[in-house]
Amino acid sequence: MAKLEIFDPALCCATGVCGPSVDPELARVASALFFLEGKGFSIKRYNLGNEPDVYVNNPTVSKLLNEKGPDVLPLILLNGKAIKEGIYPTNEELASWFGVNAAILEAKKSSSSLL
Amino acid sequence: MLKRFDPAEITMTPFMFFTGKGGVGKTSTASALAITLADQGKKVLIVSTDPASNLQDVFKTELTNNISAIPDVNGLFACNLDPEEAARAYRERTIGPYRGKLPESVVQTMEEQLSGACTVEIAAFDEFTNLLANPEIHEEYDHIIFDTAPTGHTLRLLQLPAAWTDFLNESTHGASCLGPLSGLSAKKDLYANSLGALSDREKTTLILVSRPEASALAEADRASNELCDTGIKRQLVLINGVLKNELKGDSISEAFYRKQQKALCAIPAKLAELPLYAVPLIAGSLTGPQSLRKLFTKNQSESGIAQEKDRIEIPSLQAVLDDLHESNKNVIFTMGKGGVGKTTAASAIAVGLAEKGKRVHLTTTDPASHLTHIFGNEHSFGNLTISSIDPKYEVEKYRKEVLSRVSAELDEEAIAYIKEDLESPCTEEIAVFRAFAEVVARAKEEVVVIDTAPTGHTLLLLDAAHSYHKELERSTGEVPESVKELLPKLRNNKETEVVIVTLPEATPVFEAVRLQEDLKRADISPKWWVINQSFYALDTEDPILRGKAAYEKEWILKVKNELAKDLAVIPWLEDEQIGYSELLKIYEKKG
Repeated sequence: MAKLEIFDPALCCATGVCGPSVDPELARVASALFFLEGKGFSIKRYNLGNEPDVYVNNPTVSKLLNEKGPDVLPLILLNGKAIKEGIYPTNEELASWFGVNAAILEAKKSSSSLL
Repeated sequence: MLKRFDPAEITMTPFMFFTGKGGVGKTSTASALAITLADQGKKVLIVSTDPASNLQDVFKTELTNNISAIPDVNGLFACNLDPEEAARAYRERTIGPYRGKLPESVVQTMEEQLSGACTVEIAAFDEFTNLLANPEIHEEYDHIIFDTAPTGHTLRLLQLPAAWTDFLNESTHGASCLGPLSGLSAKKDLYANSLGALSDREKTTLILVSRPEASALAEADRASNELCDTGIKRQLVLINGVLKNELKGDSISEAFYRKQQKALCAIPAKLAELPLYAVPLIAGSLTGPQSLRKLFTKNQSESGIAQEKDRIEIPSLQAVLDDLHESNKNVIFTMGKGGVGKTTAASAIAVGLAEKGKRVHLTTTDPASHLTHIFGNEHSFGNLTISSIDPKYEVEKYRKEVLSRVSAELDEEAIAYIKEDLESPCTEEIAVFRAFAEVVARAKEEVVVIDTAPTGHTLLLLDAAHSYHKELERSTGEVPESVKELLPKLRNNKETEVVIVTLPEATPVFEAVRLQEDLKRADISPKWWVINQSFYALDTEDPILRGKAAYEKEWILKVKNELAKDLAVIPWLEDEQIGYSELLKIYEKKG
């Protein structure tokens, strides 16, 4: 089964709620991931601010961070391999990785029609 | 007539929290109460959580975060918990191990995330907790007196079950305010005990310290309501610095007395329902147990201090105005803590520049009613136009924007959590800053004067998000164009000036120092400091007001010699400067 890991940057907060701007993109990603997790898929999400250990100890993440700096975040690892840098996966990508129908993810959130 | 505060008439609870904005005399009154209780044979601990605490000066004793005995007072112990230091320590614990392991640029993004006001607030509460919930400590003392109290925002955050559930770790719906807490869930029970003690009437009293001034009383009213809502019901109010009698025939003394009495008559209704007590104005500073003992006793000697013969000459606001005019600054912020007179300074600068022939736009964060109070319903006076930004409205707009996006997707607990996060000081600052940016962007051909400035933390966050979103090249959640334009403008000292406004007293000066340091982190160096409401330059025979003036000198000199590139002083004025022509009078008075 696919294993997804998302390494977030150290933003003020992950919703952007008390950050400089509201980021509906983050809300979209968070709820899509919630939904998939609820289905029993293996998804891990880390915040650089809270769990820097994971960033240091994961050789792939550590290497990319050292080479490219914080702009590489958010970094998406699928089965341990970096699959996206500096951008969150679309619902379609998530759906294809986990073999579900993207429409399920869309239907869940009428408010974020951003992609 | 207000009743004079007499500690003998008050039931003393084991915990007493003093609260009030900077400069109202929290530390003096808290220390005086601590000494009074110790003199009665009680064992008392006084705790300061102010990073720039003057508790050390008050007791003339070096204080650390370890409890130590105060030499001259039997039974009195003190410690100084510095929440900024605690926040720094927390940051270092979190980040330190990664220096060298992660690139410096990455470490910096982590640091900024943990540099907000909320981190410091939570760190302060964490410091309180050890004293409130640790039986070994609170059983040893009859009374523990804190010279500051947690904010309503902090208490509400901690009361939310969501703060302690796994959803914080499992999802990214987490929030910055709880950043410092996420590693502390082991302390959940300890925090619950602390909150329990705070809301127990038998255990905790909140002492609201205020001044006989309209803005200070309004602030005390707000704090009272907010903390009452979070469960701290036992409250009383100390109105500090009340002038008992005017010196007849001395115009300054009479005016000062009149102004105080007027403010006391107009005390907010809800605040007036609490037990209210007056603490008299004392000439000079209160240091050492001997002088503090006098604060709550009936017989005060009023030793007069002679008017200084060779007063140092300090430039007036006119000097600030001339400099801003000649250097052609087109974005001017006035910055300072609430109640120091930012709005008046900003309004006076705006009016002054307009008189010099510039086209000026003044915008303020004071609720519209107050602006109307100054300028009436007019929004245009020759070269001057005025607009106002209502922080409540801006935050509400922002809240709605956020909640409408997430409410369909999150459970109730998570939504309550996000709602509380939206109450954070950072949120308000960001919402207001965005509104400022729009005003500045609109007014390209004018000088824009704004009565508040963003903190360095906000600027750095905006900057970080800016570069982050640039990478993303996406329109979602993007920092607005107007904000992006404003950031480099703010850093350009040819265009922008930040004027720091403060009062000639210990705490307001320390607070201003912190504001300045915070701005410097974001590469903004304020040039002008303006000291407002000064008695130093006034001629009065009133011994108490003279004493006040003598005390001010110390702070004026400190600002002049150590803190400000340039300093100007605005003398205390009886009348509020209402209206365009009244504002101009600030320049007429000799400063």
